[in-house]
Amino acid sequence: MSLRVFGLNLLKNNRSLLQNALRNNGAPGAQVLAVAPYTTQVTVQATPAAVQKQKVSKAMKAYLERANEHDEFMKTQDLEFQIGKRHLANMMGADAETFTQEDINEAIAYLFPSGLFDKRARPAMRTPEEVFPARKAAEFDETGRPFHSMFYTGKPNFFQLLHDIVKETNYLYDLEERMLRRGNKPDENQKLETAGFQLLSKDQLERVLVEHIVDIEYQSFTNAMERLMSSPYSYKSKAFIERFLKPLIDQSKQLEVPKPKIDEQGRQYITTYECLRKTARADVTVRLPGTGKITINGQDITYFSMDECREQLLFPLSYSEMLGKVDVEANVEGGGPSGQAGAIRWGIAMSLRSFVDQEMIESMRLAGLLTRDYRRRERKKFGQEGARRKYTWKKR
Amino acid sequence: MAYVPATTLNILRFSKLSRLMSMYPSHFAEPNLNKITDRKSASHIPVKAATNDLSDSIFYGELKNKLIKYITKKGNRNLAKELLNETFETIKRTQIERLNLNKGDKTSVIINSEQLLINAIENSRPLLQLSAIKRGGVKYQVPVPVTEKKSYFLAMKWLLDAAREKDRKVHLPEKLAWEILDAACGQGRVVKKKDDLHRQCESNRAYAHYRWS
Repeated sequence: MSLRVFGLNLLKNNRSLLQNALRNNGAPGAQVLAVAPYTTQVTVQATPAAVQKQKVSKAMKAYLERANEHDEFMKTQDLEFQIGKRHLANMMGADAETFTQEDINEAIAYLFPSGLFDKRARPAMRTPEEVFPARKAAEFDETGRPFHSMFYTGKPNFFQLLHDIVKETNYLYDLEERMLRRGNKPDENQKLETAGFQLLSKDQLERVLVEHIVDIEYQSFTNAMERLMSSPYSYKSKAFIERFLKPLIDQSKQLEVPKPKIDEQGRQYITTYECLRKTARADVTVRLPGTGKITINGQDITYFSMDECREQLLFPLSYSEMLGKVDVEANVEGGGPSGQAGAIRWGIAMSLRSFVDQEMIESMRLAGLLTRDYRRRERKKFGQEGARRKYTWKKR
Repeated sequence: MAYVPATTLNILRFSKLSRLMSMYPSHFAEPNLNKITDRKSASHIPVKAATNDLSDSIFYGELKNKLIKYITKKGNRNLAKELLNETFETIKRTQIERLNLNKGDKTSVIINSEQLLINAIENSRPLLQLSAIKRGGVKYQVPVPVTEKKSYFLAMKWLLDAAREKDRKVHLPEKLAWEILDAACGQGRVVKKKDDLHRQCESNRAYAHYRWS
């Protein structure tokens, strides 16, 4: 409703606003792309209102044809999607009206179970807006004259972005010089925090710009952004910079530390199941307080005959200064000695998290004790002697 | 330039070239045992799993691990480790003997065999290498600087080669111990080999420009 009211105001030939409003009107259910001021939906209505009666250029005509085609296509796709959704809901015995995308995903996974490893390769059903990428609206008026001065570069949004970045940078340089002359210093408290952030990746930037860019262009984008961010006054253009940053996952808070349980002797204990390394598999229980007793499959540490494996077992304990303070029990099967020792090492490190402070957990993570070692034996290749080695080659 | 083990560095290291078949993406850092790293910037960096030769025990040495890998034949690392331990034992025995025979100052004799190994490797590291470059149908021996990593490799390889070149009756640890002791004092076959190479590079300095022209 609000859109229609909005539309009435817009008859005062405000081109860009009209475009905006009609774009939203044309695709009410379209997915909202993150930070996408450049995205525009192709619709016939997206063209200026004056087009319909005035003389139309060839470019505009071709565009209208294409837009019409696309509209029709999207409409049929949407219809098919709705019908498919209804069928799915009926098959699953649910109400078609309240069938959400999550329900669809569940139903597809149930009805078409797939053993394919890559999730993107498995069967899926998504809204056509998500499947077919967004397209730009008309970039020129009815006489064929482009709106944007950089239209003929082929990538107006991208080059506009570069211009914007440089404009911001120059502004900051000016500011720095003025402040220097006045003897002011940049505010340390407001300093821009970029430690936990990363610039948008190339395909994310492409999605934001609705334009294809090549590697070297992406590099010039990153270079320009880095120059902008390295300025001491970069907090002044924080809003601009943050449009192109995405937060990184905090590695130190990724895994939840389990609460220790109490056994019949009143000791705290934690059991970590499924400790895997190579083909070995272990269950590790760590008990606090203890005397440093280690039990592996009913034997003590002499279960491993090699020094290296014994050293591996003691590594997390001594690193976290818990050697002699906890008891370790492990059941391990499969694999060889070094794989088994690695599995138990990981189990001990993971269990110890419940008994040490946050600082120690972080340093254990940085020592690589909390990372699962996913490396496996590399397969032999045909036509080769082993994984990498080639057969001896003789010319004749 | 003294030897600095990478585990004592206070920064997170990344492997320079991400290996083609590596399980880890290139933004994974190498594990770091140093407990005073800058936490704030590191909290977002994922870390590779510690390999099974890494540990925080006092017996851990980075160069030692590398040397074990070079001694290893047919994947028998256990044997290689035993051989190196035996080498260290021989070194220590001879050094203690020397210490007891030495009537003067007792501080001049180093007994720490791991320190002696580091000294030996440092003394036998080459700076330059000759590489054959073909210009105008003629092969020239052109002196080329060696990277730090390769220089450590060459030093250890030369030590081992010298140790392996021996009578059948002599055990490898014994010979290796003698080579290490010689090289640590700046003499012996390995250091001579390095000096020879440097001398050759010096005499071929006229060809140095073929490296880039």
